[in-house]
Amino acid sequence: MIAFEHVGKRYGGRFEALAHLNFRVARGEMVFLTGHSGAGKSSLLRLIMRLEKPSRGRVVVAGHDIAQLHASQVPFYRRQIGVVFQDHQLLFDRSVFRNVSLPLEIQGLEPREAARRVRAALDKVGLLYREKALPMELSGGEQQRVGIARAVVNKPALLLADEPTGNLDPQLSADIMALFEDFNRIGTTVMIASHDLALIARLRHRILRLRDGRLVADERAV
Amino acid sequence: MKRAATPRPTGAAPSKRHAAKVPAEPPAARSGARSQQTRFSSRLRAWGRHHRAMALDSLYRLIRHPMGNLLTMLAIAIALVLPAALWLTLDSAKLLDAELDESATLTIYLELSVDASQATRIEEAVVADEDVAQTRLITPEQGMAEFQQSLGLDDTLAGLEDNPLPTSIVIYPQSVEPTAIKQLAVRLETFSGVDEVRVDLAWVERLRHLADLGRRVALALGVLFGFGVLLVVGNTIRLAVESRRREIEVVMLIGATHAFVRRPFLYSGAWYGVGGGLLALGLLGLGNHWLAMPVAALAASYGANFVLPQLDVTGSTILLSCSTLLGWLGAWLAVTRHLASIRPR
Repeated sequence: MIAFEHVGKRYGGRFEALAHLNFRVARGEMVFLTGHSGAGKSSLLRLIMRLEKPSRGRVVVAGHDIAQLHASQVPFYRRQIGVVFQDHQLLFDRSVFRNVSLPLEIQGLEPREAARRVRAALDKVGLLYREKALPMELSGGEQQRVGIARAVVNKPALLLADEPTGNLDPQLSADIMALFEDFNRIGTTVMIASHDLALIARLRHRILRLRDGRLVADERAV
Repeated sequence: MKRAATPRPTGAAPSKRHAAKVPAEPPAARSGARSQQTRFSSRLRAWGRHHRAMALDSLYRLIRHPMGNLLTMLAIAIALVLPAALWLTLDSAKLLDAELDESATLTIYLELSVDASQATRIEEAVVADEDVAQTRLITPEQGMAEFQQSLGLDDTLAGLEDNPLPTSIVIYPQSVEPTAIKQLAVRLETFSGVDEVRVDLAWVERLRHLADLGRRVALALGVLFGFGVLLVVGNTIRLAVESRRREIEVVMLIGATHAFVRRPFLYSGAWYGVGGGLLALGLLGLGNHWLAMPVAALAASYGANFVLPQLDVTGSTILLSCSTLLGWLGAWLAVTRHLASIRPR
């Protein structure tokens, strides 16, 4: 699903955020990406989302070298990836329902079908009863779950998450992770950047460890 | 939270009507076997739906802040009124021009020795010229009568023993082109019995030059003020884009195309144009009303029947379309320029 081949990323010509990255993630795998802050976790995710291009090497997603995508193709590429952000990037001027339906609106899905899928996604994250609420009225954990619902509402083959449990207490974090495991179980490839080592150690999935932009360990689940 | 945290087997009986739809099908099943045609038509429908939604959404945003948006529209209206008014004035000048063209005539004065039958023969010869549309023979008696009438000098002229006026022929030329008329005059002078051909085209030409100048000024002003409208709309849209920057970043992160992001702003621009155009029409109407009476009085004092021109349906439609188009274009320029600087974080 994802292949990094000798990938390096420099910013401003000097700072080397990522270097000599080589790894593959199979379709349907669940992978944690860990490392201290500044180790390059976010940069790596940004490369997969094609927010940036690698300075060196190739990033291949679903068989395509995504650096080759024309700018006009990038939006369509991004629609195939669900992304959960640490600060969840919700829009505060519209309801939970409208937030979750945004990807479907962008795709131009027929409204009735869209509503059906939005409700399904909200139900999955346990927030169906909050569909009319504004994001501001929700707790941090609930906002994060709305973000997850938005990420999965168009059934992406690949789900990325950048510190999805960053600001949550341990119980809520475990709940969120269980949610990701649910999506993985039905075939979605999931990649989660997190520095919550205790939590991800318990979950027994593959762990990619980054240090100063280099891959220092690739621990398979036992 | 409890429910979400509990792993549920795939395709398990949903606890609610809509439950488990997202995970129920593997992502690979997304690319269904729908035919190309239905996909195209459904995409077309989706496109139309988004257009409608954005047109209404931007209108709603406009109405939500009536004061500021009204000021923008007023600025557009004022920029449109000046060239439009000048255009109208020129249009009415064209009407005058047409009247003048009708009165562009040549007069041939025949030698005094020419008698009535000779005069008729000369007139026939003149009519035969292909550049002559029509002629009117004025005998010395008729000439005297007209002269008296127009000068109101009955008594003085009645005192004259001999009629000093020659027979004259008024010629209405086929074409009002100055060069054609001049050539005609040269030809007519060679006719025997013709004493003098009088053409007075200088003032016709002057008026033409003046109208030409006016048209160019109107065009230049139109272009200039059109740019003004672009700038006004562009600046307003630039602020709107800036205030919705976060939203734009988010939708671009989740796969919105530039066209999708641009659409609501293009509609805002078009609505500004529509509003500005309507206000401009209102202002023109108001101006017409304000000036109608003195203009009519002035025209009457010249014995003319001149009415201030008003924008007809076609003119109004053109003005509205132009302002809408300008608003749209201004928004397009502003958004396109601005989107390049917005990159999702």
